[in-house]
Amino acid sequence: MKHKMKTRSIIVRCGSGQLLPFAIVFGLAVVLFGTISPGGGFQGGVIVASSALLLTLGYGYRTAHDAMHPHFLHSGEAFGAIVYVALALIGLLCGANFCRNIFWDNGAPGELISAGTITFMSWTVGFKVLTGVAFLLLLLLGLMAPDGDGEEDDET
Amino acid sequence: MKQFLRIAAVLVFLFAGCAAALSLARDLTPTTGEAPPDVYALMQDPDSYRPDGADGVAEIITGTGLAETRAVNNVAAVVFDYRGFDTLGESFILLTAISGSFVVLHRRKKTPKQEEDAGHEA
Repeated sequence: MKHKMKTRSIIVRCGSGQLLPFAIVFGLAVVLFGTISPGGGFQGGVIVASSALLLTLGYGYRTAHDAMHPHFLHSGEAFGAIVYVALALIGLLCGANFCRNIFWDNGAPGELISAGTITFMSWTVGFKVLTGVAFLLLLLLGLMAPDGDGEEDDET
Repeated sequence: MKQFLRIAAVLVFLFAGCAAALSLARDLTPTTGEAPPDVYALMQDPDSYRPDGADGVAEIITGTGLAETRAVNNVAAVVFDYRGFDTLGESFILLTAISGSFVVLHRRKKTPKQEEDAGHEA
């Protein structure tokens, strides 16, 4: 790693380190099973995006910035929007109207891949919200971060 | 005088709103066809629910929703199928908001020339 890690209080650092994998895995599960369980793309994406906040709390803004690549996140959000439009255009290409659920009868009800484009649209919106909200959080935290964040380290 | 007019206008709107709400509540028919279901009995025995008597929104949720979309989660079916175009606009709102705040808020790295200019001013 380029920069030395900014070390906060050991309790905050270990707490955020313990919670980080749970937040990511739980959020990804909410996105993945959005169509067959309570939840959905938007909510799960926000849960995963909170990992940016946890990382900043524990290890400082510089580490979160280097670990999450904000410009990659911003392009990922645009990519998610394009994929959503492409999924909606499938209906137009097959001769029906925009946003038409063409292959709606694949899979039995209750399976992970069922209900046609609903599942894929849910995943796309989840990816889009994940990248977008994480980028927004990093942007706002970068305004508050001191200039030399990451260079100095406190005693633990 | 001005304050009196303001209070009078607020009172007129209040009474009109209350009258409209009362008349709506009197004319509204229940969506469950016959008598409304006994919620406590349904909670004790969920299998006893018969979706045949439903009409209106309840009929869409229990009857045609699953048959038309195959989505077990009705909220997902509404958000991504029936109102997919609405979700498209909603996600573009997020994209536009984040792009706009990026343009306004992001820290530009100072080029050497700008730093030189700042030095001259100081």
